[in-house]
Amino acid sequence: MKLSAIRPILLLICKELAIAGLLLLGVSFIVFIILFLSPGDPFSLLLKGQMASDAVGAGTREALRVPAAWYAQYLSWLSNILRGNFGTSIRTGLPVLSEVIRVGINTLYLTIGSMLVTLLLAVPIAILSARRGMTVFTWTSTIFTYVVSALPVFWFGYIVIYISMHQFGLFPLAFGSSSQKIGWLYFMPPVLVLGIGNGTISEVVRYLREEMERVFSEDYIRLARAKGASIWKHSFKEGFLIPITEIIASKIPFILGGAVVVEQVFNWPGMGRMAWQAAQDRDYPLIMGITIVAAIIVRLGSLIQSVVYIIVNPRASQK
Amino acid sequence: MKRYSQYSTNISDFSDVPFWKKAGTMDLVYVSYGIFIVILVIVSYILGAFNLLPFDPHEINIKLLMAPPKTAGHILGTDFMGRDILSRLIIGIQAYFLPGLLAIAIALVIGTCFGILAGYWGGGFDTAITYINNLLNSFPRLVLILLMVAAFKPDIYYIMVIVGITNVPVVASLIKGKIQFLKQKYFIEAATALGLKNRIIIFKHILWHNCRSVLIIQATLGMAEAILMETSLSYLGFGVQEPIPSWEIWFCLEPTTLCRASSGRRRHRHLLYCLPSWVFIYLATG
Repeated sequence: MKLSAIRPILLLICKELAIAGLLLLGVSFIVFIILFLSPGDPFSLLLKGQMASDAVGAGTREALRVPAAWYAQYLSWLSNILRGNFGTSIRTGLPVLSEVIRVGINTLYLTIGSMLVTLLLAVPIAILSARRGMTVFTWTSTIFTYVVSALPVFWFGYIVIYISMHQFGLFPLAFGSSSQKIGWLYFMPPVLVLGIGNGTISEVVRYLREEMERVFSEDYIRLARAKGASIWKHSFKEGFLIPITEIIASKIPFILGGAVVVEQVFNWPGMGRMAWQAAQDRDYPLIMGITIVAAIIVRLGSLIQSVVYIIVNPRASQK
Repeated sequence: MKRYSQYSTNISDFSDVPFWKKAGTMDLVYVSYGIFIVILVIVSYILGAFNLLPFDPHEINIKLLMAPPKTAGHILGTDFMGRDILSRLIIGIQAYFLPGLLAIAIALVIGTCFGILAGYWGGGFDTAITYINNLLNSFPRLVLILLMVAAFKPDIYYIMVIVGITNVPVVASLIKGKIQFLKQKYFIEAATALGLKNRIIIFKHILWHNCRSVLIIQATLGMAEAILMETSLSYLGFGVQEPIPSWEIWFCLEPTTLCRASSGRRRHRHLLYCLPSWVFIYLATG
């Protein structure tokens, strides 16, 4: 490809990056405001216990160089965040960022695996029902996806634990014994439960089917059909790639939210379980770090989606 | 959405057919379901307020722990603390549905306002509201709620306000798309040419005649989501807490007892608590 062809694409990608950066700035501001408005701060605690008057408190503020105005506090907090200093956890005393990244990898396994499960189930159903219309099989499987989406995920998790572990003894109750040869097999129940029960499977089926049906009725597909070319090849970009990246990007928050519950059910040592623990202990720095990391993951997903859209769709970069 | 809007002709606006005959069948189903929920809540309030329940929902009967149905006047039996299940089911309706109603009310009102601003006036409003929507979409909802819980320790109604606010982008983008589509239609142009006020065009021609069905569908979907969120939160221990009777608490207690339970009776009961959210999702997607 020539440079002149790539340049508008690069420009658009830069624009998307700028938008993502702006949104993350907004995210950090919202998180800061929530923390700023929450009752109590270290100084009031100190004042109540040890210091005699407000003047002493103000003196301590000055000595520790804590700015009084909220925007100054925000800026200093933001500069710390940008340098990767998320503070230390109140409960464990460990630095937040390294902790979040350590457990975040487990969550990444869980969410990516469950997304694959969702897609493996939903995509064939969507393609079949778009190509063949509503047969008995596609009808029952669509109904099945709706039933499954309405299940609360923890309830489904307990049913799976009950059936697979108590009744049949297929899996051990504890996870993470990766030293054994079939260690990956123990990851299957939580991944399956989150993939099936996170409530997005029916959405994926419906959206993908609608988009495919729309694309199949377009003129260029009719032309391809008339000249005997492969319909699948022609409809792949618009009918499959774009909708699937769109739906994945928009469902990442839901899957991350579902991960909180599933990790709780299966005692999975991940970000969601850590967030739950932090909320239980009112561990501000930790939950704040987790929120920001989760928002970064969500933004990355939609960034990838828009990049795919720009690269696939030549019209997007021509304006 | 695209297909649905083509049905809405404005010819019927001038006919003498009463509105309940004009409405489509699905409209009636949705509306009657909403009214049914409201009536359920009101009935449970009345029964609770005038002592019309068969038993006091908080009364503990130690002699009858986990009694099977139809023992000593308890129609559905008693729970693990010997409290009458039927009375607690009736009172539990309030804590089960009210937070969800609050969440969708907030989502619909704010979302519609945003949608109108972005769709009808566009320009700067559109950019700003798209930014706000993307911002709200950046947070995984449960993580945001956990953040609020860590910061404020709010009760379930405040949490449902947050759920409502995080539902705003969905409603706003739907209404925005709908209005942008409708603005190209001739009847809106005609209304503008006739010199009608903006608020009449927006509230009568756009919202009432053309966005009603979208809003109702969104309301039922949002209700189902809010109820699922509520049950998840109760499971995590941040929702409605134990002494208050609520449906989702059983829902959360049941699976944990399931692994220990030996009697087959209890195993089937928790399927019952799934029903409301299932019914909502079926109606909304149906």
